[in-house]
Amino acid sequence: MSGGADREDPPGPRSPPGGAAGAARRIRSVSGLASVIGAGVIWIALLGPVITLLAHLSAHEIASSLTAPGALDPLVTSLESGGVTVGVLLLVATPLAWMLARGTLPFPRVWETGVLCSLLLPPLVIGLVLVFMVGPFSPIGEVIGRVHLSATNTFLALVIAEVYESAPYYVLGAQAAFAAVDPRLEQQAGLLGDRPRRVFRRVTLPLAAPGLAMALAVSWARAMGAFGAVIIIAYHPFGLPLQIYTTLQETGLASALPFALVLLVVALPLPLAAYTWSARARGRRRG
Amino acid sequence: MLEADVEVDRREFTLRAAIRVAPGERLALFGPSGAGKTTLLEVIAGLVPPRRGRVVLAGRVLTSTDPPRRAVPSWQRRVGLLRQDPGIFPHLSVRANLAYAPAADPGGAELAELAGQFGLSGLLAAMPARLSGGQAHRVALGRLLLARCDALLLDEPYTGLDASLRRSLTGLVSGLVTDRQIPSVLVAHELADAQAFADRLAVIDQGVLLQDGPPAEVVLRPASRRVAELVGYLGFVPVRRPGAVRPDGGDLVAGIHPERVTAGAHPDRGVVLTGIIVGGRPSGAVWEADLLIGTAEVTCRLPDRPARADGDLVVTALDPPCFGADGAAVPEPGRDRLAWPVQVSA
Repeated sequence: MSGGADREDPPGPRSPPGGAAGAARRIRSVSGLASVIGAGVIWIALLGPVITLLAHLSAHEIASSLTAPGALDPLVTSLESGGVTVGVLLLVATPLAWMLARGTLPFPRVWETGVLCSLLLPPLVIGLVLVFMVGPFSPIGEVIGRVHLSATNTFLALVIAEVYESAPYYVLGAQAAFAAVDPRLEQQAGLLGDRPRRVFRRVTLPLAAPGLAMALAVSWARAMGAFGAVIIIAYHPFGLPLQIYTTLQETGLASALPFALVLLVVALPLPLAAYTWSARARGRRRG
Repeated sequence: MLEADVEVDRREFTLRAAIRVAPGERLALFGPSGAGKTTLLEVIAGLVPPRRGRVVLAGRVLTSTDPPRRAVPSWQRRVGLLRQDPGIFPHLSVRANLAYAPAADPGGAELAELAGQFGLSGLLAAMPARLSGGQAHRVALGRLLLARCDALLLDEPYTGLDASLRRSLTGLVSGLVTDRQIPSVLVAHELADAQAFADRLAVIDQGVLLQDGPPAEVVLRPASRRVAELVGYLGFVPVRRPGAVRPDGGDLVAGIHPERVTAGAHPDRGVVLTGIIVGGRPSGAVWEADLLIGTAEVTCRLPDRPARADGDLVVTALDPPCFGADGAAVPEPGRDRLAWPVQVSA
């Protein structure tokens, strides 16, 4: 709640938490004012890169960069591979996160350590290792080759690299979301006559959904911005981050910036929507 | 009819208990925290597997460790469990909570009638976060009833609610259990809660069912010294039967309940005790006096404050239960030779 626990809300429609009255109440004291200013400074510092990006772009530059032939192909590639990555994570990593949260796996610490290891590997290292793991001369690469696919410099390679870069973020976020669901509620749903699969659909999933949405949004942002592993194992097809890098190499800083804006604009709506939706869902639950 | 005869291994002890509850009957399981009461409910509900045992509800075998082995999953048992935390689904409205069970009908007349009876009619569209503690409990209870459970298990459901709410909820549950003729079991660690609800009281301690009977009988005629301690007998005074040969009185003790003591000597009504006042304090509308009788300290609650704060006081423990050296109760101590045992003077 935004106010003190002892404060009774007046009956009838509530004033929104960000209302002018609420703001005035919050900054009434000197220490309150100082904390608002401090938060503002940190917020602006964090937003610094975005502000700088916007300040250095002119409409003319944006137009000329984006209207060049084939300029938006990497955007499509990034959206497609990001979408597939998120889909794969939902299908594969959600059950793992649920089992980690519920402690149904033997030796849970071992499983968690595994997830943390993949989080700790720098993306560049992931890319290097992936070459040895799924490259054409590896056993897995041979299997992939047998179905006439390749996991180097292909769309498949791009998706694999993005999955490895974003999976730990999704697994850890989803695990926290599931762990926050009170097992007693699931137990109660079972006693009321729901078999476990129905309990999951009617209780666990709706209650974990806001957290899952946030985890998915974070992993989407990671996938869209994946660079380190991608540059090694999937230089082609070009996604947005690689386009920014090559434009920077070939034509300099100024012409690379518009694509950075594109990346921001394209990657942002999903996390923003997830954030808004989960905040609203939590607010609704509070009554 | 609900029948359970189970053994469950716990960390400190093994729970061994057998209970039978008739349709419409209200059994209270009473005992200290950690006695195994909740475990027994969880075995009946199918949440905890017993090491050995059998649970039968309305003719259906729910659990059996003897062949033919059975372990009906909890979602097929039709056993309602209400805990201290009512477990309302926070993402569903009151109406959706009430109608959660697949057997319930969200738009049905039964839900509307029950909501009226429970005082929830105006709250059906509300989200659970708006509910008070008592309202949340009524929603949880209504949800169990709409799920058409065949047995009602209540695990200290009223802890944290104030006295008047407890009374009204207890009355509500008692009426419903009688109306629907389902067996019900209440777990309580407060004797008053257990008495208010139950028509039978079972005392459990350390996983063992010590006594099972009508509440008045268990409270006034505890079967053993341990049961007496659990139902509120705070002091135990050595006594001997009148005319007993042995001067030590044959190792008999009388259990003294603070509220079953009256001032003055009434040898026809119980054991007359003479002690030294060692302490006292007001307690509600009565005066609580600590008496030292021999080496035993006894607390008694008297309507009037003794005239002197120290010195001797003579009181009578009314119809007290007496226990032998093995801790077992002596049957009808007062009818024995038509005279009450007398206090052993120190």
